[in-house]
Amino acid sequence: MNERIRLLFAEAVDIKLEVLHNSEMTIEIAYIAPLCEENKINDFIIVPFTKDFYPFESQLKTNPDYRKVDDVAKWQDLMLRGNVLIEADGIIYSFEASRIISIENPQTQVESAIQGPQLALSEDLNISLNLIRSMYPSADLSVEEHTIGSLSKTPVLALYDQRRVDPTVLDSVRTKLMTINVEMLHAAGELEKLLVGKRKHLFPTILITERPDRITKALSKGKIIILLKGNMFAIILPATFFDFMHAMEDDYDAYWMTRFLIFLRYTSIVLTITLPALYISVVSYNPELFRVQLAFSIAGSRSAVPYPSFIEVFIMLFMIETLIEASIRLPRYIGSTATTVGGLILGQAAQQAGLVSSIMIIVTSVVAISNFVIPVNSLSFAIRFLKYPLIGISIFFGISGVAVGLFVYIAYLCNLRSFGKPYMRIFGKLRPLEGDVGQVKIK
Amino acid sequence: MNRYVFYNFMLVSFINLMLYVPHILIQYRYTGAVSSIVIGILIGTILVYLYTSAMARFPGKGLPEILKLYSPKWLVSIMMFFLAIMWWFATTVVVVAYAVLINRFFNPDANTIVILIMLVLACGYAATRSTLSVMFVVEIGLIINAPIILFVLFKAVRSTQLSWDAIRIVANYVTAMPTLSCIAAASFIFTGYINLSLFNRLLPPNFRFKFRFVYPLFGAMILLITFFVPIGFHGTEGVAQYIYVWSLTADSLLMQYGFIERVLFLFLLVYLNLTLVYTMSGWHQAMEFVKSCIPSYKPEIDSPKTPLSNYVIVGIFALLSVLYLVMTNEKINMMITSYWLIVRLFVEIFIVIWVFVLSRKGAKAA
Repeated sequence: MNERIRLLFAEAVDIKLEVLHNSEMTIEIAYIAPLCEENKINDFIIVPFTKDFYPFESQLKTNPDYRKVDDVAKWQDLMLRGNVLIEADGIIYSFEASRIISIENPQTQVESAIQGPQLALSEDLNISLNLIRSMYPSADLSVEEHTIGSLSKTPVLALYDQRRVDPTVLDSVRTKLMTINVEMLHAAGELEKLLVGKRKHLFPTILITERPDRITKALSKGKIIILLKGNMFAIILPATFFDFMHAMEDDYDAYWMTRFLIFLRYTSIVLTITLPALYISVVSYNPELFRVQLAFSIAGSRSAVPYPSFIEVFIMLFMIETLIEASIRLPRYIGSTATTVGGLILGQAAQQAGLVSSIMIIVTSVVAISNFVIPVNSLSFAIRFLKYPLIGISIFFGISGVAVGLFVYIAYLCNLRSFGKPYMRIFGKLRPLEGDVGQVKIK
Repeated sequence: MNRYVFYNFMLVSFINLMLYVPHILIQYRYTGAVSSIVIGILIGTILVYLYTSAMARFPGKGLPEILKLYSPKWLVSIMMFFLAIMWWFATTVVVVAYAVLINRFFNPDANTIVILIMLVLACGYAATRSTLSVMFVVEIGLIINAPIILFVLFKAVRSTQLSWDAIRIVANYVTAMPTLSCIAAASFIFTGYINLSLFNRLLPPNFRFKFRFVYPLFGAMILLITFFVPIGFHGTEGVAQYIYVWSLTADSLLMQYGFIERVLFLFLLVYLNLTLVYTMSGWHQAMEFVKSCIPSYKPEIDSPKTPLSNYVIVGIFALLSVLYLVMTNEKINMMITSYWLIVRLFVEIFIVIWVFVLSRKGAKAA
């Protein structure tokens, strides 16, 4: 066996090919050392073989951990995944001894909740599955394995509750997973793009999360979870717009407070999208929209500004966007300095220098702050972009342009589908007897 | 799922202001408008009941499919093409009128054609989406805007400026004989049920029409407010001087504590949204009707990919709308609209009776 393996692999020092003898028999073992747990190889192969208290050959036959390999084509694959190949009496066995380096029991970082589970998914599939299985102890939980990536051979698990899952969604996910054709796959975001299939999309239609409680809740609603090896994040699909606006804490805290928070989130989405565009249209087109006192104070604060309102908006938005980008990319300690310098000093100075009006500074900070209220990061990014087309249309059409732009956004959102399920709609109560709109497929 | 039927009804009853319904009624306020309103409510209610009970027999089917079951294809095609023109017209009148309105109230120095092109592009994009998406947009549009409209109406009715004497004087002309154009205008409020011609496709098989008594009540309330509140504000004589009666009525109201002081702006923005939603829904229905004339047509309520024919048909609609604005002015537009309202009344009665007869025939055959 070892001769053939030497031919199968490129010259590499970390491939171990050994021949072992004891009084009864001779075996050959082959493994890639860095991928395997040496202790495990010692405990399960070398020590029992050399001590030979119990005939090793019958051990190979009885213990299910030693799996028989009939197909020579699988050798490479098995070894690359951390298996040890054993040849005894011309029969090849494989033994799983892989060593996976991952963060042990990581804490939630991206989506933190004050009360609620603090453990996040792990980079090791087994630990993640352990978390999910223990939080969702149901016999209906089905786990399917797929492999994606012709080079990276990333193991991907699809989890679903077999009684609650929507079969059409499951079918389309399966075919998508089968047909994905890439060389490398390492991150959940990458898989998300491949699953969605559209090259240019604005809104996330698949939810990426690290929270096991979000996952188990999604399972109970009949959604499909996809786990990736070497990735702390899971993919939930299909997702709706409202899933992205939902923080897990909304289920844990007091009813009225959470309703208020949800209301706050939607208000801030509207503010962050429309405020800059409304500023332009009120200043340049319809100052009579607001009551006289307010119109005067806006005009007064702009008295020192020498150029039209949209240039002012572009200056301030450029500053705030670069600040946000900088504070994300910078190391944590410098990050806070950057925001202080940029936010406090530049804002104040820009207004005193007469570059922008003081109302514009308020508008900018409201835009930035209310953007961060959105609980899921991917939606927050999508929303961050939405204000620019509205600014564009408000330059030419004023406030009626903003209203038309919002209408187009709503039409676009309602048009989106996440694996055939509507992305944005008002769900309301569903009577199962009566059925849902659009359920009938016309022949 | 009855709400999805109600949304259509509500949308059309709100949009009546853009189709010059109050203006037409007010022109005839001494000569038959009040009695026409009463008759309009009656006709509207009967049509709603007939059409919904007929449609209930054809779950998940739109008007083209129902007609094709019993009639030759060429007849259905001609009918559908005619209906598509009717629907296109209903919405184009509204969107053109709104482009003029934006020019009057928001951007006085902008070119009306440019404004119309913007509106038409937005509506065209939305109308090419699938039927299911269009229904969702209608729902969201109404949930956002209806409370504001109800607020404005409530504010108008509760206003101390409202002269109940003027309203009573006009109401006393109830004995004057009704006229055809007034009946047509008044019954337009109830015409939302006819959107079921297409949206019936969406309704699930076990669907049952419920709460049908709400339709006449809601319609009558809107109709009475539409007609009487402007009279209360502007007086029995002054009210006839305005074309955009309701914009000026909204401008008579003041929100003392709001950011926005004049109700007019709130009102215009809300009606802009409603116009867009209404135009989208109307063009979408007209588009589907045109498509149903094509022999190889298969009805699809939620196609994953937008077919090219959608873009072509709606593109033609949009071009025609711009042409319509170039060719007409407000006066011609208003005249055509009042004739269109009358034609609509007869066409609708015809469709409703046709479908109703078919539904009974189908019940006997089955």
